[in-house]
Amino acid sequence: MEQIAKTWALREPARGPWFLRPGLRPTLHLSSTAPALRCPDWEVPVRKLPSAGVLPAFRGDSRSRSWFAAGAFLSPQRAPDLDGQQAPRPRLSANSNRLLDGPRRGGLGGKSCLASLCYTQGPVRVVPDRMPPSLGKGPWSLPASPSRSSPPQKYNADYDLSARQGADTLAFMSLLEEKLLPVLIHTFWVDTKNYVEVTRKWYAEAMPFPLNFFLPGRMQRQFMERLQLLCGEHRPENEEELEKELYQEARECLTLLSQRLGSQKFFFGDAPASLDAFVFGYLAPLLQARLPSGRLQAHLRGLHNLCAYCAHILSLYFPWDGAEVPPPRQTPAGPEAEEEPYRRRNQVLSVLAGLAAMAGYALLSGIVSIQRAAPARAPGTRSLSMADEEEDE
Amino acid sequence: MSLVAEAFVSQIAGKVPFIHVGNQVVSELGPIVQFVKAKGHSLSDGLDEVQKAEMKAYMELVNNMLLTAELYLQWCDEATVGEITHARYGSPYPWPLNHILAYQKQWEVKRKMKAIGWGNKTLDQVLEDVDQCCQALSQRLGTQPYFFNKQPTELDALVFGHLYTILTTQLTNDELCEKVKNYSNLLAFCRRIEQHYFEDRGKGSSSIRSS
Repeated sequence: MEQIAKTWALREPARGPWFLRPGLRPTLHLSSTAPALRCPDWEVPVRKLPSAGVLPAFRGDSRSRSWFAAGAFLSPQRAPDLDGQQAPRPRLSANSNRLLDGPRRGGLGGKSCLASLCYTQGPVRVVPDRMPPSLGKGPWSLPASPSRSSPPQKYNADYDLSARQGADTLAFMSLLEEKLLPVLIHTFWVDTKNYVEVTRKWYAEAMPFPLNFFLPGRMQRQFMERLQLLCGEHRPENEEELEKELYQEARECLTLLSQRLGSQKFFFGDAPASLDAFVFGYLAPLLQARLPSGRLQAHLRGLHNLCAYCAHILSLYFPWDGAEVPPPRQTPAGPEAEEEPYRRRNQVLSVLAGLAAMAGYALLSGIVSIQRAAPARAPGTRSLSMADEEEDE
Repeated sequence: MSLVAEAFVSQIAGKVPFIHVGNQVVSELGPIVQFVKAKGHSLSDGLDEVQKAEMKAYMELVNNMLLTAELYLQWCDEATVGEITHARYGSPYPWPLNHILAYQKQWEVKRKMKAIGWGNKTLDQVLEDVDQCCQALSQRLGTQPYFFNKQPTELDALVFGHLYTILTTQLTNDELCEKVKNYSNLLAFCRRIEQHYFEDRGKGSSSIRSS
């Protein structure tokens, strides 16, 4: 775990909240440096699925470890079910693909990244590659997964699920994508207060200098268009009513999730599966973000089993970032103190840059000139000589 | 018939299917179910909370995969668009409008596909998604008569609607139909509902048996 944490720390500076550091999204790295996202040279010992989220030990070089830690493809094998039926397994390649394509693809930036991160660190069980090519039609994938060409990898979080549980996984993923995703987009990108105070700031802080001025705005326009296409065709005449309806559906979706989870630790018993990573990727930002107007957040906080579920996953798989679900009002000073040195430094630098620009312009255009004459001149004669020089020019 | 209905509804409620009750018109499955529930009838009353959650999830799966795949096949597959969809969509309108409206609808659907991430999919990938969806439904149905054992629910109605349409509509490309036919329990499910609820009309119009 420390290795992975160090790898991440080396890649991106630790700014902003841990779960939505857009810079962590490996678009900037994977698309250029990791063409295949495979880990072919590893020999991983076969182990039972651990219940406490301990990672299997890798014997590989540090580069493959970092690829793994960057949320590489993990598409499960199509393993036979207990009674010999073909048990389709969902895989996270859709999320990983969203990982690769970054802001163009949509998703909430950190959400799909987070799901993959959670998936890779948590419930990865190693199974030997024993699928003969004749048995499977190809592994399942999430809805809207574009890539089929990557070969199946050796990791499967859903190996213990029955066929019906695999089908349930796909169904619940569809439910989240249809009902919850539009409202999350609306909450983070369309709602003005949230966008200005929270989302834009996060992305602008994580992006390098020229991009932070226009990329967040561009992303916002893309998300708004997407939301319009997804939902606007239904009843375009009354936006408020549409919003109310969307939020009502999202609340219902959260309630359904809560009912499905019940009092279990994970959705399918005691061991996490890919559905858990997926749900966590959606819920954690909504739960943890300090949103000025968070109606849905308030509803989610009322569903205690979902809050406990997120806190449990955080404590198991993201311990370096703090495992508690903090009440947002109690720790406002912490992250602001972190941002303080950067803000002050930026302010000082910008003032200095402005002064240097003005001084340079003044010197170059001759408004002010440096005189090498004796310092004993009276101020009156000095100004006369400056005026003379200006007339000469 | 469906085109006349669509033209009619587009001025009033906006979408098919719709029901006309008294002076009210209610369109789309969700509002119709709510409307009927408000009148005191509901198919899913006997389900517990977990089952209701599963039912809603599977309904969204069908909407997400099957509906989108049908739209894709009708509007983004060039062969089907050229031979069937344009002609069918534009047939109620006179000459310039039939082409203009058809192209406009095609452009809208393509934009929507791009927005949800299906814009770059090939037909094979779409068919694979349909296959997975059918497999999920087949696994969930198992050997039961309906999805939630003995009683039909909204999920059964929705699945029947989609599968029946896929099985009975003649397109240039029959692969979608073949994908569904691979699952014998889904086929039996559709036949059972057709016989049980539509046996009066099943003789005249196209039925699953004849395709």
